[in-house]
Amino acid sequence: MTDFIKRLLRTPQGAIGMLLVLLVLVVVLFGPMLAPHDPETLAPLARYKGPSAAYWLGTDQYGRDIFSRLLIGARATVVMAVLATIAGTLLGAFVGTTSAFLGGRADELIMRTIDAVMSIPSLLFALLVVNLLGSSTVNALIAVAIAFAPGMARITRSVALSVRKQDYVNAAVARGESSAYIILREMLPNVIAPIIVEMTIRISFAVMLFATLSFLGLGAQPPAAEWGLMVSEARRYMHLSAGILIWPSVAIAVVAVGFNLLGDGLRDALNPRT
Amino acid sequence: MTTKPETPVLAIENYSLDYDTATGVFHALKNIDLSVHRGEILGLVGESGSGKTSLAWSIMRYLPKNAREPGGRILLSGENLLEKTDAQIEAFRGRRISMVFQDPSTSLNPTLSLGTQLAEVLVRHRGLTRQQAWKEGEAMLDRVGLKTPASMMNRMPHEASGGEKQRVVIASAFACNPECIIFDEPTTALDVITSCQILDLFVELQAETGVASLYISHDLALVSRTASRVAVIRRGDIVEQGAVRDIFANPQQDYTRELIAAVPDPARRLVGDIVVDTDKPLVRVENVSVHYGRKPFLAALTGRATERVAGNNAISLSINPGEILGIVGESGSGKSTLAKAMTGLNRFEGKIWFDGREIRSLGDMDNAYRKDVQIIFQHPDASLNPRQKISEILSRPLKLFGDASHLDQKVGDMLEQVRLPRTHAQRYPHQLSGGEKQRVAIARAFASKPKLVICDEITSALDVSVQASIVQLLLELQKASGTAYLFITHDLNLIRQIAHRIAVMYRGNLVEIAPAADIDSQDRAEYTRRLIEAVPRAAGQYL
Repeated sequence: MTDFIKRLLRTPQGAIGMLLVLLVLVVVLFGPMLAPHDPETLAPLARYKGPSAAYWLGTDQYGRDIFSRLLIGARATVVMAVLATIAGTLLGAFVGTTSAFLGGRADELIMRTIDAVMSIPSLLFALLVVNLLGSSTVNALIAVAIAFAPGMARITRSVALSVRKQDYVNAAVARGESSAYIILREMLPNVIAPIIVEMTIRISFAVMLFATLSFLGLGAQPPAAEWGLMVSEARRYMHLSAGILIWPSVAIAVVAVGFNLLGDGLRDALNPRT
Repeated sequence: MTTKPETPVLAIENYSLDYDTATGVFHALKNIDLSVHRGEILGLVGESGSGKTSLAWSIMRYLPKNAREPGGRILLSGENLLEKTDAQIEAFRGRRISMVFQDPSTSLNPTLSLGTQLAEVLVRHRGLTRQQAWKEGEAMLDRVGLKTPASMMNRMPHEASGGEKQRVVIASAFACNPECIIFDEPTTALDVITSCQILDLFVELQAETGVASLYISHDLALVSRTASRVAVIRRGDIVEQGAVRDIFANPQQDYTRELIAAVPDPARRLVGDIVVDTDKPLVRVENVSVHYGRKPFLAALTGRATERVAGNNAISLSINPGEILGIVGESGSGKSTLAKAMTGLNRFEGKIWFDGREIRSLGDMDNAYRKDVQIIFQHPDASLNPRQKISEILSRPLKLFGDASHLDQKVGDMLEQVRLPRTHAQRYPHQLSGGEKQRVAIARAFASKPKLVICDEITSALDVSVQASIVQLLLELQKASGTAYLFITHDLNLIRQIAHRIAVMYRGNLVEIAPAADIDSQDRAEYTRRLIEAVPRAAGQYL
């Protein structure tokens, strides 16, 4: 394990990605404790302020401290994105592995269905799900998870197809193991590495997708400190103070870039040939 | 070999090579001293991991980044290759020194025609124009015994057979009349008859051009057939070198003696010839055919006829209780296809009678059948799940077929049965050597106390010495349990040692079945006789 982390940190992408993700993790875990102000305290006299000693990143249209809101909103934004990605990945990985294991007509049927689902852009698909289920945080999570599953299923299937040909799977079939055992115990553990890499990259997509949903008013609802929602609300006031719009956007970008770089680093570290 | 010039073409003097690994420095080669003279073939023999291929790459000056060279010199006609710059080395490669690889299907670029790849070498190193190079290439393909060189030049690699591809690779190695050619197991990936032809070609070209050759192989019998001198390498050390005759007649080192003893010799039978001839065979395979490929959905709807690839054509054979039936044939002859049909991995047509029960399709293979018929695969790397501990791998068949009580105790017993320490249960497959992994696979197959074990080329991925010990283990287990074996292999020498009867397969058809003792008689089918002739003679017969 230490060897693995050493390999990860040896590449610049891995090191920077790790650093950014650790930073995000600290904010997620300790954000509410670190916040200097209450994120929902209105201060009518201190609206649209630029950065100062009292308000490090300035204040928004109601005079709320942007820095505190970012620290507290990290939980909602990042945790939701990670959860949605994990749910989507698990679903997709299971479907993909099953499809590869079954092969033949069943494989054809599953993959063509997935193709059909994939032909709808993920944002549109998420919008559709949220519209059907009603707008709330949990529904947004479900929407993002479902939107991600087909892509993961495709990637998993391509890896699982090569695993399917391995003799240990043949050995399991020959000794009459159940399909569930073969898929869960023999195949899934061996397709996990590329899935983890893909997952870290997708977390950044999820952050942006959540931000977009919130921006459109279909995810978290005001006065929540969700980053996408903050950008959305700031839009109307950006000519009064650019900071309201810039800082949450920067926060989203840091998370996206961090996970993306970590994904690149993991890809190299998990590949024994490099 | 009569007049040796003063300076050898290739001389390696006191050469060492280390690799930096995560766990420290690994000494791949230690103080190697070798020389190859003009017109000479030096055989380099060793097990996998002994450093044979590392040596080949250091001669070619193509080493991975973590390689370190603490000392020594590699001289090509007196020039030290270690002191050359990259640009100089590039001019050397292909022009003065070239290499033939193990697997022709991976050493040729699949997207370029054979002619383009051959002409490339000539344009690059001999400064010919495209047209000249193409003409010259045709002449070369003719020289390596390809029947239609002009059309072969235009073919893509996948349109040529393995043997044809290896001839093209050899042609491009000889293309610029180099001083030295390195052959890295050039026949290992080919079937018996083709590799015999390739060897003949190699010896012929070698005599014609007088090139100095370094022939790397793990197969002593094969090397003794071509080389005049042999060097035996073990863990990066040359343990012994000398003329072929001396090495075989009078090996100085224990290791060399072990290697020679491990080469299968058909004259030395390892099992008794008494076959219990019963009216009731354990297994009777009746007209079993296997076809690959599935009918496309649209073709099924429109009723369009589709061509299917036949893996097996109406095979019929039987195996008696406690018998060892060998199946031999080239690659692609349908040996493994039959094994897969019998273990329920391939759909088949026809009938299999097992222990008096009739099996018509995969659906008839119930738990009891699967318990009694076990299969061991060729590559232990692939047949053991890399993410499971040995204890988990071995306890699965117990849970499926037997009672799952005292699992730890039983797994330990199984490991001891195959001569592995009990503590191996806590390891992962990658922590074991190839031979140990194959022992685990054997233990897994025997866990359910089967009546028939199908061994699908189980020794071909292993070194000769390891192969001997695995075969020994199988025979001991057979003696103890009375299990019947279906032993699939392409190694005729080995199968003649251990089988009671031998079935010969060719292109999906069963050619014949004969008792092992009569397999070399003149009454055998023509194909069988060709197969026997192509097999390298056992080591002892070179004395």
